[in-house]
Amino acid sequence: MVDFGIPIGAGIAFGLGALGTGIAQSRIGAAGAGAVAERPESFGLMMILVAIPETLVILGFVVSAMIMLMLK
Amino acid sequence: MLQKMKKVQVIGPKKDLQNVVDVLYHTGTVHLEDLSKTILPGDTILRKMDPGKSGDISNILVKIGGIFLSLPKIQDDLQKQDQIYKDLQKKSHDDLTARARYVIEELESTTKDLASNKSDLEFSVNALDRYEKIIKKIQPLESQLPILEGFEVTVILIQREFRDVLELVRNALVEITKNQFELISADVDEATIATVIIFNKKYSERVHSFIFSQNVNEVRMPQEYLGKPFNEILLLIAEKRKKSLDEMAVIDKKLEALAAVWYQELSVLKKVLEDRNEEASVYGKFGQTEYTFLIEGWIPKKYLNRTKETIKNIFGSRVIVIELELSPEKMNDAPTFYDNPAIVKPFEFLIQIIGAPKYKEVDPSPLIAIFFPIFFGLMVGDIAYGAIILVFAFIMKKKYKAEIWLQHLMNILIISSIPAIFFGFLFGEFFGNLGEEMGWIHPIHFLGITWNRIEAMVPLLILAIAIGVFHVILGLSIGIINSLAKKSRKHAIEKAGMITVIIGILLVMGATVEMLPSILLPPGIVLIVIALPLIIYGGGFFGAFEIMSTAVNILSYARIMAIGMASVILALVANKLGGTIEVAYVGFLIAALLHILNIGLAMFSPFLHSLRLHLVEFHSKFYEGGGKMYKPFMKEKTG
Repeated sequence: MVDFGIPIGAGIAFGLGALGTGIAQSRIGAAGAGAVAERPESFGLMMILVAIPETLVILGFVVSAMIMLMLK
Repeated sequence: MLQKMKKVQVIGPKKDLQNVVDVLYHTGTVHLEDLSKTILPGDTILRKMDPGKSGDISNILVKIGGIFLSLPKIQDDLQKQDQIYKDLQKKSHDDLTARARYVIEELESTTKDLASNKSDLEFSVNALDRYEKIIKKIQPLESQLPILEGFEVTVILIQREFRDVLELVRNALVEITKNQFELISADVDEATIATVIIFNKKYSERVHSFIFSQNVNEVRMPQEYLGKPFNEILLLIAEKRKKSLDEMAVIDKKLEALAAVWYQELSVLKKVLEDRNEEASVYGKFGQTEYTFLIEGWIPKKYLNRTKETIKNIFGSRVIVIELELSPEKMNDAPTFYDNPAIVKPFEFLIQIIGAPKYKEVDPSPLIAIFFPIFFGLMVGDIAYGAIILVFAFIMKKKYKAEIWLQHLMNILIISSIPAIFFGFLFGEFFGNLGEEMGWIHPIHFLGITWNRIEAMVPLLILAIAIGVFHVILGLSIGIINSLAKKSRKHAIEKAGMITVIIGILLVMGATVEMLPSILLPPGIVLIVIALPLIIYGGGFFGAFEIMSTAVNILSYARIMAIGMASVILALVANKLGGTIEVAYVGFLIAALLHILNIGLAMFSPFLHSLRLHLVEFHSKFYEGGGKMYKPFMKEKTG
């Protein structure tokens, strides 16, 4: 029988990371766009703030890759 | 490299002020300080300098610019312009403006009249073209038009999408003219319909005012064309157009004659006035006493002697440049000037995205110039993609020469595409696995690992994290240097503690998973125990939480592997999908489209992630910011 546990686990690890990043970036991005419109010189700082939550999805990807590779 | 700055004062007699400012402007080495902010209102000796007469020059410049634009451009005679430049440059403010006023007096009214006549003629030719086009379109309707005495003909133009308005017009005309009208429509072009309306003249006023109120584009034929057959009107139009074009040619000749006499001088006069205008705008920053002026600013140490020499050669001992000795605290106000080789220069642009660094901070641009392309190359890692990005960047650079920011970005892409091609060789990738499938190229076997990105996922992840460890420790080391330069011992100790704890954690983890000899476990624990008090001493209790954030920073480098993996998988999908479709050219087209999409992503995503690794993970370990960049007083460079 095919074991669906591993791919489903990997999918959850990656998917939830992506979801978390998406939620965080949507809020930071919306506020950042407003701030940049008011003060264009804050673009660099805003880009950093928007980029910070990306770590979540990257770690999610790494964990899911680990699950796929190490548990098969 | 960060350049040493020197604060200087330039002092001289007031009568030389304009010439001194002009020399400083053309030398282009001084970053001016606003001295007026430091002069107290009650100071009886040193007072603020009155602002320059920039308003005066601005008005003249607008007029000269207008004349210059209305004259046809002719070949620049550089030798003649150079001679004129030398003559004008010598003139005082009053003499220069007097000359400019004379030129304006000589040319303004003539050029204005000629330009306005030409513009009227152009307008009239355009109108004639429009009438001709409409009349040619409605000419076939001529036979349908009733020839009636006392009737008027008018044409309206309606956009095709608003054709419903015709019904409205028809209903209104029924009412206004008591049904004494005819309405015929024809297409002028794809977007416009011309409608001819014939109605009794006694309703003329009401009909025109109704058309006007509906905002419909009515073609008002000139009086002389009214009531004439269309053929005759077309002949009249052709005749009038020829006359107008002849007159325009005469005007052009006159303008060319004026340009032959004045163009070279106008061109130079405009440049000199622009310079003087720029110079006058900074007078407000200077100080003055009864007979002298005082200019304060910063000069990079390597340009100081050159500037002093220039001033001395021109003004002798009348004007002096004094080098000020400043305390280390005062030196913190110095502007930051990184003078790097051309290959590093584009990366200075990336640092400025997050604001100017403070003077004395270590210049990170040479390090970014090394690591940014490597990260980018590791993520793209494909010979064909790298080559296409290289060509794309060259084309964009050539096409948009005036956009400075784009030039910087494209230079970064050009430099970064080289490692992308190199890692493509290492990973054996040419349009994903196409090169390997065709037998053109194979992944390199090195350190017992075949560096195929799909199969060597774990080694690549370890490599990415190892790069992260090295990069973050490098950032922390620069942080120690910056802290010591600021004499902030606590911060330096905190950063040293952080480096120690990272090494300790690595030893403990390595020994635990048996990647390192187990004998390294106790030293690892000892390092962590030593580092914790250092971190708490330097950064307080919350400094200890920074360990977590630094660990996450290091793990964040896993994106180097992850983004690369995403790119290679998309390339594989493109090749696989293209290969499974039976019709060869459709398969090729699909594969090509997916590869184009992937290259687009490969230019954007690795660039952004590489930038993020530098700005978030690397810079946060040492960067303070809040400084100002060295901006010498000189002509703005364009293009």
